[in-house]
Amino acid sequence: MSTVSWITARGLFGRRRFLLLLPLPVLLLTLAILSRSLGVDPGEWGPAVLVGLGLAVVLPVVALIVGTGVLGAEIDDGTVVHILTKPLPRWQIILPKLAVAAGVTAVTVAVPLYVAGVLAHSVRLGVALAVAASIGSLAYCAFFVALSLLTRRPVLLGLVYVLIWEGLLGNFVSGTKVLSIQQYVIALADRIAPTEMLATNVSVPVASVMSALIAVGFTALAVDRLRSFSVAGETS
Amino acid sequence: MSEPTGVIHDIGYQRYTGPRLGRRHVFGALYLHGLRSAFGLGRSAKAKIFPWLVMGIVLVVAAGLTAVRTQTGQVVMTYAQFADAMSWLVIFFVAVVGPELVSRDLHSGVLPLYFSRPLPRGDYALAKLGSLVTALWLLLGAPQLVMFLGAAFTTDNGMRGVWDELLDLLPGLLYAALWAVVFASVGLLIASLTGKRAFAAGGIVAVFLMTAPIVGILSIMPSRTVNELAMLGSPTALIHAVGQYTLGDLLVPGGDPETQIGGFGPVYVAVAVLLVAGCVALLLLRYRKVAAR
Repeated sequence: MSTVSWITARGLFGRRRFLLLLPLPVLLLTLAILSRSLGVDPGEWGPAVLVGLGLAVVLPVVALIVGTGVLGAEIDDGTVVHILTKPLPRWQIILPKLAVAAGVTAVTVAVPLYVAGVLAHSVRLGVALAVAASIGSLAYCAFFVALSLLTRRPVLLGLVYVLIWEGLLGNFVSGTKVLSIQQYVIALADRIAPTEMLATNVSVPVASVMSALIAVGFTALAVDRLRSFSVAGETS
Repeated sequence: MSEPTGVIHDIGYQRYTGPRLGRRHVFGALYLHGLRSAFGLGRSAKAKIFPWLVMGIVLVVAAGLTAVRTQTGQVVMTYAQFADAMSWLVIFFVAVVGPELVSRDLHSGVLPLYFSRPLPRGDYALAKLGSLVTALWLLLGAPQLVMFLGAAFTTDNGMRGVWDELLDLLPGLLYAALWAVVFASVGLLIASLTGKRAFAAGGIVAVFLMTAPIVGILSIMPSRTVNELAMLGSPTALIHAVGQYTLGDLLVPGGDPETQIGGFGPVYVAVAVLLVAGCVALLLLRYRKVAAR
């Protein structure tokens, strides 16, 4: 474990604010257990909990908070200078940070999704959801880390993507689904464990290729942006 | 050892002896400043991007709806339904503006400067709340006004038609005010908990979004009472239920509110009032603590 990833992990967990991450997975688990124990038909509560809450809200929001937190928080309070002045290649800064962000997101999201998937259908669905959510968290985190280097307001731009692009446009304009990480995750999970709960119109090859492209592309972009990063004070 | 030769010269500093404006004007100034900064007025272009992006989207949607109505004569959305359809944008707007109003002051530690004025702790919080409520109401009200103007100028029944439209518009504006009050009080409370704008924005969105599926789950529970009370689960649904109870078919044309909320209308109204009152009380408590620091 390199020093950078150690510092990043401590920056994430050292403060009280990481408790902010807990309610989302806990709520997911509670709803799944509640529905299961009351004997509601899984076909009815499955899509609402697994997709509506798990993949559409918990995964992107956790990835947004963590992904912009690993680098964006340091840029915000200016301590990123301490890392930038060390004789480290830029990729040795980005990759550990991305790994910590994706790992934390994956654990936070995949575990409750696995349990909910098992309760809803089968162990296979649980594993499928966990694997797909881990892939999704890598893609989301790469995107949000790159975003925090491209702009001074990464969280708001990330929210534009999650709320307006995936949430609002995804419901009305079906064409935008081809460019939405959420749909890739659903497609991948549906491929690993075909059920009638997960429905998407994105094909599996497109989903896997695009997820890989997003993860690799935005990581490369982040490394490149960090090369010519200029530390500026807060404006406006 | 020479004698001290320094002299303190009187260079003419004077105390201000004129009238002082007092509490009401401090409140007003703070409110106006909050409202201006909600839309990025008096700030750099960067601060204007996000508020005006949201404002632009809702106005474009309203213009589109008006165009459809004037061309085909079909009412796609009533005034009250407009607020419901824009709920995601309202959440985003609160996530942009709420932290802008309170988290900046917390972050840069200027609250002692505010409170060194004749400004009670509560007034600061209430002024900020007021400006957020007004900004949200403008966000939802302006597009409704656009729709009203479009409908009023194309009506076939002369003044009578305009009057009917106006009677439809006023409940819509009241409903927008309900949205504004509930979202502002919940959002500002969350934003006031942290000085980091990024975390405040994430927290606001998380709270509003993660409560929405609770409604979905509760409404398929095997109990009719739970189904009818399901909309207590999230602020968005709570507002919708209150709207169903008070506005009736203006919000759900042709629908019977009894089917969704049963006889629990008064319960929803009471819970909405309690929610707003509780959030405002917690906000005031929060600022008592912050001010004491």
